[in-house]
Amino acid sequence: MSVLKEMFENLAKKPATTLYPKEKVPIPPAFRGRIAIRDEKCIGCSKCAVVCPTQCITMVASEREVEVKGRKITRKKKPEVELFMCIRCGLCEEYCPTDPKAIYLSNEFSGAGPDKSVVVK
Amino acid sequence: MTEVVVPIGPQHPALKEPVNFKVVADGETIVRLELDVSYNHRGIEKAAEQRDFVRVVPLLERVCGICSHSHTTVFVKGIEEAMKLQVPPRAQFIRTIVAELERMHSHFLWLGVAAHEVGFNTLFMWTWRDREAVQDMLEEMTGNRVNYGTNEVGGVRRDLSPDEIQAALKRLPRLEERIAKYAEMVSKEQTMLLRFKGVGKLSKEQILKLGAVGPTARASGVDYDIRRDDPYLAYADVPWKVITDTHGDVYGRTLVRIGELQQSLQIVRFCLEHIPAGPIRTNPPRAAPRTEILSRYEAPRGELVHFIRTNNTDRVERLDIRTPTLANWTSVAVSLVNQNLADIPVVVAAIDPCLSCTSRITVVNERGRRIGEMTWDELSEHGRAFYRARGRR
Ligand code: SF4
Ligand code: SF4
Repeated sequence: MSVLKEMFENLAKKPATTLYPKEKVPIPPAFRGRIAIRDEKCIGCSKCAVVCPTQCITMVASEREVEVKGRKITRKKKPEVELFMCIRCGLCEEYCPTDPKAIYLSNEFSGAGPDKSVVVK
Repeated sequence: MTEVVVPIGPQHPALKEPVNFKVVADGETIVRLELDVSYNHRGIEKAAEQRDFVRVVPLLERVCGICSHSHTTVFVKGIEEAMKLQVPPRAQFIRTIVAELERMHSHFLWLGVAAHEVGFNTLFMWTWRDREAVQDMLEEMTGNRVNYGTNEVGGVRRDLSPDEIQAALKRLPRLEERIAKYAEMVSKEQTMLLRFKGVGKLSKEQILKLGAVGPTARASGVDYDIRRDDPYLAYADVPWKVITDTHGDVYGRTLVRIGELQQSLQIVRFCLEHIPAGPIRTNPPRAAPRTEILSRYEAPRGELVHFIRTNNTDRVERLDIRTPTLANWTSVAVSLVNQNLADIPVVVAAIDPCLSCTSRITVVNERGRRIGEMTWDELSEHGRAFYRARGRR
């Protein structure tokens, strides 16, 4: 019987599950995790806020000197993301014109928490 | 005939396709099944009209938790057709790889659920463990286990690196071995043979009349698969074959799905090995010309249809979605007549719907005019106990 054979094979094996959170699961480099912002890179162009499908990005006033192609400019606004409205689609990252991206999906995957109004600044 | 109409309880808005049904039963035998599928209206079609082609894709990805790639592919395929865009072959191959991996994870999931419904939980655990390998592949390639975010109008959003292709190829032999094991198990294992054979039988004529699709139809000998009959993505360039069967019952549907697992694995392997070089996207125009498109796609559960009307703007004027489960529901109602109450879970599971939505069933006992409600778990348990008792006799 193939089922019995399979059972005995499995008996000799390690458990298939991971003892989270004691053991960490491997995260692939391409993983789309929690949204993050590099404030010093953002030029305040609002492209991310326009493309975001859930409209969870708000542009807030924040004046700061930033460098664009070797030129210094003063940006007026920066994005803030309402974390639990973000669906991690990555469109903001795709449309952000800076390099490295001022808004991006990090590899951080454990996003659960008791506070639902977390804002990523 | 006693007709008792009972409004059924709770809504389950968290899940897609909530389906309600009333069972009219005579003792243990089912007389009739009444379906109500228009239970939960999420307004996705209307919401799709408000978003441009970039922002509508993440929305459509969420029509279904399992076939998320199916819904975006069928949509962008339709829009590309309307715009007369040539999508680069590399993009089509990547879409095909993700589509077939999605089919594999869906069929593995189904096999587990069907085993669970007949009380064979060991198999449920095995298939779901093996499904993890497919999920991991998808996560490595697209960045997520579900809602892959791969498609956009004009191509795909993420390229596959040579390392990712190699890593994916390395996982295939083990999966292949597992699928072969399940194929053997299904044809030999008594638990499944006893509970699947002759249950929920539908003839080819019935299938054609009721308009059932996908593995449900192919298990009754209907040789029809959109991937072959109206080729899209890279299917025309890949060697594979349509799996059919003549049993027409739950057993046949199991054989078809396992055969499709094997085919999907071959398609994924071929695409990974033969993926053409080149760009992964073309720049689409902002707007689509005024036209109407009927876009079809072979989703894991069967033919998925998006009707799209565009009107020279950057959004759709009308989007109509016909999911395969909707096409298959009437076949459930018909195939359950004169079956045992105990067979409901496995026959319903055999079309692979979203069971969570149907988590409550009203049983109307025709003779006694008693009306009672059973939760899905109670019904599953009833099914197991019924056959256990019968097995002993
Ligand atoms: S990942 Fe998507 S949902 Fe999240 S902030 Fe960016 S665009 Fe918005
Ligand atoms: S995060 Fe990027 S896209 Fe958003 S405002 Fe800053 S620079 Fe523009």
